[in-house]
Amino acid sequence: MASFPDPAWFLALGRLMEAEGESFRRLGYAEVRFAIRVLDDDGEGVARTIGLEFEGYALVRAAALTDLTTFDPDFVICARRKVWTRMLDEIVRNGRPDLRGTLSSLALVGEELWLESGDQLREDKFYRVNQTLQEFFNLAAKLGD
Amino acid sequence: MATVQIKDEDKVGSEARFKYEPSAYLQKLYATGTPDLGWMNRHGEWGMRAKPGNLGLRLKDIEIGSYGIVPEHGSRHRSMAPRGAVVPDDVPSLDFTVNEKAECWADNAMELYEEAVARQWSSARDIPWDELRPLPDDLEHAMCQLCTFFTEVEFIAADAPTRWMSRINQDFLEVKLFLATQAMDEARHTDVFRKRALANGGGLGTATTLSELSLKRIFDSPSFSVQTARLHLLGEGFVLTMFRQGEYIAQNRVEQEIFRRCMQDESRHVGYGTVHLREQLKSRPELAGELHDQLDDAEMILLQTFSVPELVEPMAILMGGGVEHFDKGMELQGQLWRRIVNEYLQRCDSAGLNRRPRCLLPTDFAKIFGA
Repeated sequence: MASFPDPAWFLALGRLMEAEGESFRRLGYAEVRFAIRVLDDDGEGVARTIGLEFEGYALVRAAALTDLTTFDPDFVICARRKVWTRMLDEIVRNGRPDLRGTLSSLALVGEELWLESGDQLREDKFYRVNQTLQEFFNLAAKLGD
Repeated sequence: MATVQIKDEDKVGSEARFKYEPSAYLQKLYATGTPDLGWMNRHGEWGMRAKPGNLGLRLKDIEIGSYGIVPEHGSRHRSMAPRGAVVPDDVPSLDFTVNEKAECWADNAMELYEEAVARQWSSARDIPWDELRPLPDDLEHAMCQLCTFFTEVEFIAADAPTRWMSRINQDFLEVKLFLATQAMDEARHTDVFRKRALANGGGLGTATTLSELSLKRIFDSPSFSVQTARLHLLGEGFVLTMFRQGEYIAQNRVEQEIFRRCMQDESRHVGYGTVHLREQLKSRPELAGELHDQLDDAEMILLQTFSVPELVEPMAILMGGGVEHFDKGMELQGQLWRRIVNEYLQRCDSAGLNRRPRCLLPTDFAKIFGA
């Protein structure tokens, strides 16, 4: 079975997203292209960068990236592997992260997880579709079902 | 078809002040039974077929042919006649005063309108109110005061732009549609924060004179673009960060959902304002001076607004996790302050307004206290 952050892991979440159907429709569509950057736990190097793209109510692309410029994401969500792992563990345990462990809360403090973007307007898309992003990650709780 | 029974039908029109005369057309139609059909030859572009995309038929899908051409100058008839329709010469004017595209347009207005419609939510249905539990008094007081502030300020972002909405030439319909969604968003924000204040044994706290002053300045803005700078760029940008803090300080899932959903809405408003100012400044670079003057005043009022206990202390108590951790809360506030200022300046950059040299907001939180 694929594991985070393999593209196949995100694609599995994407299939769950389509299966959920109505709950994501209720949140509204999202058109956003972004990347997930997983840094080594010592913070010295980038372990993986995965490009993701949502169109409407579906994940249409998940691919390992070597060239961020060509992918041209609206924003990049960066965190060390242990931070991603902690969030996903919380999701698996409770269906969602702890109150202060959501994508938005962690990005607000900016120490453990942060956003990178060349344009504030494009970075603001992270907030415009935030509920969809969080609910997408929360599907990790159902991956083992 | 069954005959509809109308109460007191014999009295209907018995005291009418005017006598109705059927038009010559209706008289002829009655006499001959032959329809005119001339209106079929008075038509916009015929034969157009807008094709829906994968998310249905959106505004961008119907921007086709001449219907998709948004004029630089709004129609001189100043009526509500739809762009692309045949307009009679004698339509009455509604005296629109915003008649230049650059005065209101933003290229993302259509996208933001559709996104807003798709991402509407209900404060009654989508917030898990039954998960609300009693909080310690200091946290409940702080949350209620914060909710009082939001209940007080949020609807200005409906009242103020809709004052201008009614003055915008109908040819710029897409902007008016977006502003209508913004008004709806702000109605929901006002209702949800009022509900939260009343839902957990607290209630509304104190309104403040300085908040009211900042709202009045937005309301009284001399032009739509000036209002956009004060409201969308500075005011809503600042509130957007407060909503993000709101999710962080949430004591439960009720507050988390409220703040996250409000954050999504608010970021659309900021997105419209930033792109509108960008396009306005490209068209009228000389406007930068006036915008700087207005932002000088708006930033000063913002600093004054956040220099009273009703606005400083609730957030610090919530950030710290209680009155006993007030210092920790203030420290966190200080760390976030740089982020607030940085994002505001980056939005100004994105709008094409070099605000950095003129900005009154200190990058160092300690300087707010004179340290």
